[in-house]
Amino acid sequence: METSKLKQELVKLLGKDKVLTEDLDLMYYSYDSSFLTKLEPSQPNAVVFPKSTEDVQKVVEFAYANQINIVPRGAGTGETGGCIAVQGGIVLDLSTWNEIIEIDVKNMQVIVSPGVIHAELNNELAKHNLFFPPDPGSSMMCTVGGMVANNASGLRAVKYWATEPYILGLEVVMPNGDVIITGGMKARCIKNVSGINLTKLMVGSEGILGVVTRIRLRCFPKPKARGIAMAVFDNLDDAPEAVMDVYQAGILPSGIEILDSSAIKAVNDFKPEIKLPDAEAILLFEVDGNPPSVEYEGQVIREVTGQRARSVEWATEPKRMAELWEGRSVTAAASARVRPDGSRIFAGEDISVPISRVADTLRALRDLADQHGIQIVNYGHIGDGNVHTAPVINPEIPEEVEKVIKFVDEVHLLAIEMNGSTTGEHGVGAVRRPYAELEHGKAVEYMRKIKAAFDPAGIMNPGKVF
Amino acid sequence: MEFKKLPPVKDQLMKCVRCGKCRSVCPVFAEVGIETTAPRGHVFMVQMLRDGKVEPTNEVYERLGQCLLCETCSVNCPSGIDVHELNAAARSYIYENNPSAGKELLFDTLWTRPGMLRSSARVMSTVQKLGLQTLARKTGLTKILPGDLKEAEQMMDNIPSKSARSSLSEINPALGKKKYTVGYFLGCGTDLFNPSVATATVDVLTRNGCEVIIPKDMKCCGLPHIANGKMETAQKLAAHNIKVFKAYDLDYIVTDCASCSSALSRKNMEFLFAGLKIEDEALALSEKVMDLTVFLINVLDIRLPEDKTAPKIRVTYHDPCHLANAQLIKNQPREVLRRIPGVELVEMKAANTCCGGSGTYSTTHYEMSMKILDKKMDNAMATGAEIVATCCPSCMMQLNYGCKRNNWDIEVLHPVELLSRYYRNN
Ligand SMILES: Cc1cc2nc3c(=O)[nH]c(=O)nc-3n(C[C@H](O)[C@H](O)[C@H](O)COP(=O)(O)OP(=O)(O)OC[C@H]3O[C@@H](n4cnc5c(N)ncnc54)[C@H](O)[C@@H]3O)c2cc1C
Ligand code: SF4
Ligand code: SF4
Repeated sequence: METSKLKQELVKLLGKDKVLTEDLDLMYYSYDSSFLTKLEPSQPNAVVFPKSTEDVQKVVEFAYANQINIVPRGAGTGETGGCIAVQGGIVLDLSTWNEIIEIDVKNMQVIVSPGVIHAELNNELAKHNLFFPPDPGSSMMCTVGGMVANNASGLRAVKYWATEPYILGLEVVMPNGDVIITGGMKARCIKNVSGINLTKLMVGSEGILGVVTRIRLRCFPKPKARGIAMAVFDNLDDAPEAVMDVYQAGILPSGIEILDSSAIKAVNDFKPEIKLPDAEAILLFEVDGNPPSVEYEGQVIREVTGQRARSVEWATEPKRMAELWEGRSVTAAASARVRPDGSRIFAGEDISVPISRVADTLRALRDLADQHGIQIVNYGHIGDGNVHTAPVINPEIPEEVEKVIKFVDEVHLLAIEMNGSTTGEHGVGAVRRPYAELEHGKAVEYMRKIKAAFDPAGIMNPGKVF
Repeated sequence: MEFKKLPPVKDQLMKCVRCGKCRSVCPVFAEVGIETTAPRGHVFMVQMLRDGKVEPTNEVYERLGQCLLCETCSVNCPSGIDVHELNAAARSYIYENNPSAGKELLFDTLWTRPGMLRSSARVMSTVQKLGLQTLARKTGLTKILPGDLKEAEQMMDNIPSKSARSSLSEINPALGKKKYTVGYFLGCGTDLFNPSVATATVDVLTRNGCEVIIPKDMKCCGLPHIANGKMETAQKLAAHNIKVFKAYDLDYIVTDCASCSSALSRKNMEFLFAGLKIEDEALALSEKVMDLTVFLINVLDIRLPEDKTAPKIRVTYHDPCHLANAQLIKNQPREVLRRIPGVELVEMKAANTCCGGSGTYSTTHYEMSMKILDKKMDNAMATGAEIVATCCPSCMMQLNYGCKRNNWDIEVLHPVELLSRYYRNN
């Protein structure tokens, strides 16, 4: 459809304040946090800002009738090009629709529109001593809708797991404009095995099966106490071993994070006041719960990791804990600091391997990086085997880009070889699509069939996942 | 120098990982919510400009102009990108290539002077915020400033008729035993718009054993000139000020204006005088310069006697961007307030979010500016404070305007004014 006509139609549906069609404005919607879109930005034909289910429905019905692609978008912090109109179409920017519709304290659940920012939701829930546990590093900026679509998880996945178990029900605008509610029309219950679990199917479907317009999610009581142990290792291999030791000692921390020497440098450059010690690796263990159990678990972690670590620091003082944890949460982007003329890129950044093979994987990653002559920073959620590798290159030098593309491919293949997955939490999007057959084999056929059943016109976020 | 080769453009653009952290802190984005106003969006657009994917048009300028240059994004960027400098540089580059863009600003050659970018961007933001026209007229800078800005001036309807300088002496002896001789760099903003701040500064310093010298011949700090490419004038002004201050045997030089302190900073002195004979003297001067509240806490360590009978007064503090973001000074102004008997410091939500900038920003983006201001006022009012304290002349003006808009009858004061008031009442 011609731009002027498209604009006219969309403005008719939503009003002019909710529609962008100027070329210059559309350019800003050609990227997310992925390296792919830095190299190959693709801009949509229009961007709309729905603020209600009806708004979404009107646009989807129109797109369906005219065979125009629809691409849902949250905050654009995804690292896979998931929210990018790689085959053109209308981007639905849902981030301005950010209402906390209801906090049902008694039933420990909350209903939100898709654009609510994760950290803002938790700030509100905290007023009721509740929290929504999955906590991506992008908490301050990503939307709950984006988390649902990507089944995001984060630093505390070891104990609290990902977004999926917290989603009790969804309202979804289907690719033909139908509106459905999963998890029961009137349900407010927590346990529910009635019917085929469409909620589970939608969570993590990366916007290719429908647009999530309302989310009912479960909250947990906010733990009363926290503690963080920082164990410092002179030998990288000891770190994954120490993680096993802690599990063997009967402790399930809420998070276990690893920073290798390059990540330590990056954090110290960025926030010197955190004062991380120089080492081959640092493990951060977080435990939470009631005060005596936190003290007890902290004590055990100190004893157990102390057998391998050079030193162990145990902090329960809020300021120090915040510093240690902040050190970890800023690593993602602070990685760029390891090379003055370089930039960290989000590519090959999210492999997941069995916990027992984390040490081998870290070593293999270093070897691969050496082979390709690329500097990398390793950090991640070691407690569940999710390793974030940050290649640091100068993206303006074509030879470096070429090298890193090869490196990233080998990183993904390494993950599969290690009996892992190319992505632990960020998703597939446009970036990891090529590995679908290799990872899932015949199952991809069934994924395609599901997609076709939901979206026969093939307009919902095409070019993603498989 | 080519735009492409300008250090931040050359070195920083590629560092943006588009993580979006800056989206979560930008006051303009918080209101608009569209990627075209996100700091990350500005970085992207500067890159498009550099790569020739867009032309230096009015449209590009307009998008980049949706920015207060408050530096919040820059201090929060994990990749260390000075987003506001990139934005300022790009705008001035567009202006140079296309003078029909950027009518409200003037820094046509800013981008060609990399060493000055930081402070120039800061001045540019002050200009946006204050509507420097009036200031310019009063300081005789009119020739280098742009055309008429009526709207901005309308906002500044309560400029005091008497400047601070006209009522203060050059030499103000210490009361009691003298501890330090302090030069007071009286900035134009304080002098013309907030003379009572200057009076309070002198009062507090003298009471605390400082002999305060306000050199008669002191001239403008020169930042507007530098920013406008009038390098020679800036050098002359700085050299003049160096000479003037050097004539006294000063232990410190204090200023309550963030722009002045950046003009007098080591970095700027190096820029102006590198390799010249005067360089050493210039650097020696910059070593002595300090923000007033930092001086009161770190050097004087002012202590007031415990006074349980002091009337209680609720005060909330607004962080000026040029102090909190540009110089990371947040604690000392609050500490000054905490040390005043009777003061109950109540933190407002988002104290370090920009107040929205009136002046030229609001002439070009009036609605946005007012939305940001009103949010600031909501947060301030929610504290139930009787006084809003802040350390920047242009913030004071903006907050006063906010009070007027919201029919909130309270005072906006510099912490030093409250301190002086306490001394005078006891
Ligand atoms: C610095 C940084 C740290 C990060 N840390 C983590 C981490 O620890 N854990 C983690 O899991 N991820 C992490 N991420 C990745 C990213 O933040 C998450 O995937 C997040 O959930 C994406 O949310 P978003 O709102 O930005 O979504 P977007 O990027 O806008 O979209 C992501 C996907 O969701 C789809 N989508 C968005 N909204 C809807 C909707 N309402 N209905 C249907 N589909 C929708 C889009 O089409 C797209 O496929 C990080 C990213 C960055 C930049
Ligand atoms: S915070 Fe910095 S790196 Fe992240 S998107 Fe903003 S400018 Fe880019
Ligand atoms: S300088 Fe301030 S207004 Fe401008 S983009 Fe950054 S945070 Fe936003």
